[in-house]
Amino acid sequence: MTTVPTFSRGRAPGEPPPQAAPDPPAPRRNRRSPLAKREGRVAYLFLAPWFIGMVVITIGPILGSLYLSFTEYSLLQPPEWLGLDNYRRMLDDERLHTALRVTFTYVFVSVPLQLALALALAFFLDRGVRGLALYRSIYYLPSLLGGSVAIAILWRQIFGTEGLINQLLGMVGIEGEGWVSHPDHALSTLIVLNVWTFGAPMVIFLAGLRQIPTMYYEAAEVDGAGGFTKFWRITIPLLTPIIFFNLVLQIIGSFQTFTQAFIVSGGTGGPADSTLFYTLYTYQRGFGSFEMGYASALAWVLLVIIAGFTAVNFLAAKRWVHYGD
Amino acid sequence: MSGGQRRAWGAMAGVLALALVAGGCGGGDDGGDGGDAAGSDEQVTLRFAWWGSDERRELTEAAIAAFEEQHPDIDVQGEYIEWSGYWDRLATQVAAGDAPDVITQEERFLREYAGRGALLDLSEYEDTIDMSQLDPLVTGSGEVDGGLYGLPTGVNAYAVYANPQLFAQAGVELPDDTTWTWDDYIRIANEITAATGGEVFGAMDYGGNEAGFKILARQHGQEMYDANGELAFEPETLAQWWEYSLQLRDGGGAPQATMSAEQQDTGSPEQTLLGTNRAAMAWYWSNTLAALSNASGNELVLLRPPGEHERERTGNYYKPAMHYSVSARTEHPEEAAMLVDFLLNDPAAIDAIRSDRGLPANLEQRERILQDLDEYQVAEAEYLAEIQEDVVDAPPAPPIGAGQVVDIIKRLNIEVLFDRLSPDEAAEQFISEVEAATG
Repeated sequence: MTTVPTFSRGRAPGEPPPQAAPDPPAPRRNRRSPLAKREGRVAYLFLAPWFIGMVVITIGPILGSLYLSFTEYSLLQPPEWLGLDNYRRMLDDERLHTALRVTFTYVFVSVPLQLALALALAFFLDRGVRGLALYRSIYYLPSLLGGSVAIAILWRQIFGTEGLINQLLGMVGIEGEGWVSHPDHALSTLIVLNVWTFGAPMVIFLAGLRQIPTMYYEAAEVDGAGGFTKFWRITIPLLTPIIFFNLVLQIIGSFQTFTQAFIVSGGTGGPADSTLFYTLYTYQRGFGSFEMGYASALAWVLLVIIAGFTAVNFLAAKRWVHYGD
Repeated sequence: MSGGQRRAWGAMAGVLALALVAGGCGGGDDGGDGGDAAGSDEQVTLRFAWWGSDERRELTEAAIAAFEEQHPDIDVQGEYIEWSGYWDRLATQVAAGDAPDVITQEERFLREYAGRGALLDLSEYEDTIDMSQLDPLVTGSGEVDGGLYGLPTGVNAYAVYANPQLFAQAGVELPDDTTWTWDDYIRIANEITAATGGEVFGAMDYGGNEAGFKILARQHGQEMYDANGELAFEPETLAQWWEYSLQLRDGGGAPQATMSAEQQDTGSPEQTLLGTNRAAMAWYWSNTLAALSNASGNELVLLRPPGEHERERTGNYYKPAMHYSVSARTEHPEEAAMLVDFLLNDPAAIDAIRSDRGLPANLEQRERILQDLDEYQVAEAEYLAEIQEDVVDAPPAPPIGAGQVVDIIKRLNIEVLFDRLSPDEAAEQFISEVEAATG
């Protein structure tokens, strides 16, 4: 259990030190003054709401789902122990394999695209654009909206058979098909949606760019370095900690994509499972077909996948991330 | 105690009070003012959940108002949502122990919920719910493992909706629905699209709802499920059903795949191609006639499914449109049963809801309102009467897990429409997936 350093350190000035007690074989320092004890209690009391919330709302359910992942649990009846059956079942679950394929495609395509766009725009905004604050806000806006239900519904309309995109295409004589409802294109529209929310990493990049001391560039210019060389040899290396931070954050976030896929496909992951994200499939198993045990196992596998990717990221980071000192 | 500490304790008390208030929101209802004298003069609140259109909401709320007038001590709160969201929400609510008191069910889901102990056995409330007048043709459908877990709201049948206005616009005659074949259906649909230059589609794609396939299977002398809940049709029959729909897609009678895919996920009938007068025919349950006619503004007519006299036998059947059931965890079973009784038997409820949940299951009330039904309800009642000669028997109740077929068939239908699976492959996959879901 954590101690509360601020309070135990704050012994009142006038109090006698605790070791003044005539009790040599007990060198422990827990014989604090009554005031310190009281302050300790207050501290725990103040911590209690957070702590109770953490245990009851977060840790409890997480451990509960670990237990459930070894059971058959229909939501309506008590769980029955299954052992590893849920995990074994995943090997033959073709829809799960589809879901993995969809999710990995999404992560590996949309995250690099989004970060590249964010970096590019941050780079240009950093070059002293008039009205930077305004642009920054405008570009940041999609990040706030992107995960919302309203935007997902809007997306559905824009990319629908008779949506905005096809109307624009129609003006130039191209007859487009429904993008959201075509199994070959539906995932692309969701990738575009994710890339569109580049604002959050962009703002972080922008802050990172501001931190790079101009003297490096000045020195490089003296040595005759051109624009690209400066970008590649100075900006990028000094920005690697920020790139790394954004990369880790976006990968974790993208693996957990749910709302957009749920709304755009009406909860089915369709058309034809082309947008069956891992989380969506987990949801379908848990709430659609009453297999909460299996859904819990799926959730734990996703946790392991994300933890694995994050670990690999951190290991690889040693090779390419420079913390300038 | 120092002033600083008093402030600290004061702040703490404030935080705790907040925590208690916040906890109270999600917590139980104990600690109220009245003590535990339940069932006396206290106000009882019931939650009643259903799916469907805005029109259904209006009708149902009128019925609820009439109930509350008769029972001033009972407050009924309606919870409504469109069909596809309904089941997700219900499963979540039931799992959380927060199920509505009165739950609208459908036969594919009823066994799932009843079999897992989520519903109340209504046979114990026979004193409260009058079942003497309920249509024996459908009352049996709520029985599961010897208990009675749902009471049918009314009688329904699957039909081909046709928009005569659009037929006229295309210069195509309405078919004689007592003799038309599946080939006629396809030909007529293709003709309408061709004659209107694609402005109007002959028919909406039907492949995402197994109700239509059930009829074709029965025409072949097969069944979707047999009495043991096993699949009881030949894969060729299902392949044929999708084969027909590809003929429609390729002949122009039905829209291209992307639009059909979009339509399939369109929640409310008002936004479908039929409801917006962009398709001349579509397959729906007979009780949506009023909603769809109002949406389209034209007088839609109900046609019998094609092929009723083409093969071994007729395939059409009556279905309990929905069931009323009561949550096993309701705190007010008696009042919930009273509400179910009211909805099924009370003239005020029947006057409000009419045939929106199928033609009323209460035979006496059905007889009574037949006198003063509006045009849609008359058309619906006539259709149900007409097909009586075709309805040979009732298909056995679907097995536990049949609710999953809703999604499975939609997905495979898309695979077929986009040529990602041939009808034969899709039929094989359907069988293996449904066997896994219901096994």
